[in-house]
Amino acid sequence: MNEIADKYADKDIGSVFIYTHEAHPGENWRHHTSMEQKYRHARALRDVLGVTRPIYLDALDGACHEAWGAQPNMSFILTRAGAPVYKADWTHPPSVAEALESLVAVGERRQAGERLAPFKIERQEFRYQDSEGFQKGLERAGPQAVSDFAEMMKRFQVPQK
Amino acid sequence: MSEQDRISHYNYSTFGPQAGEALNWGSSPAIGKPASDFPVWDLDGNETSLSAIWSQHTYTVIEFGSLT
Repeated sequence: MNEIADKYADKDIGSVFIYTHEAHPGENWRHHTSMEQKYRHARALRDVLGVTRPIYLDALDGACHEAWGAQPNMSFILTRAGAPVYKADWTHPPSVAEALESLVAVGERRQAGERLAPFKIERQEFRYQDSEGFQKGLERAGPQAVSDFAEMMKRFQVPQK
Repeated sequence: MSEQDRISHYNYSTFGPQAGEALNWGSSPAIGKPASDFPVWDLDGNETSLSAIWSQHTYTVIEFGSLT
């Protein structure tokens, strides 16, 4: 997503990250009990995971995150007026890039004089499941995060790969 | 629910059924309709708002997430 942000910056497309609660709290990165702690975690997102986009924090009670769907890693593309033209319940960079390409093309076609009308579609998309990367993320959070997730998968009888 | 209860409920200490119950994609902002605005804070502690952010560009990509 950093690369997408850099690629489209000169097309007047901004890109930001909103820091939510910890989806998988563990001994190393615990659930938030204060904004000071949330700031520390958000700075680590920048310093440890290398997020280069501007990072903003939601309130401690997650008001924005909850109102916008509460998914752990969702993405939206909004107009200058604040209307979503793309939303995904999971961040999939190729999907976001495809949407941005389409939006940029719309702007160019309109500038060329084409009359275009918006319409809405809904469709199911698929993404590669990086189980190894996800497991590493849990391990980074701590042993509790690993065991909690394993317990949930057992509860729903989903075999872990 | 008191504010402290909301904070504790949202910031669960263990990943369990509570995490799934909170998911609410059905109420996410609708395509084409103005999204709800909220205050947010940058890493220096300066308060701004989503509307102040999305009004700066033709389009703005917003990703939600966390370290874990």
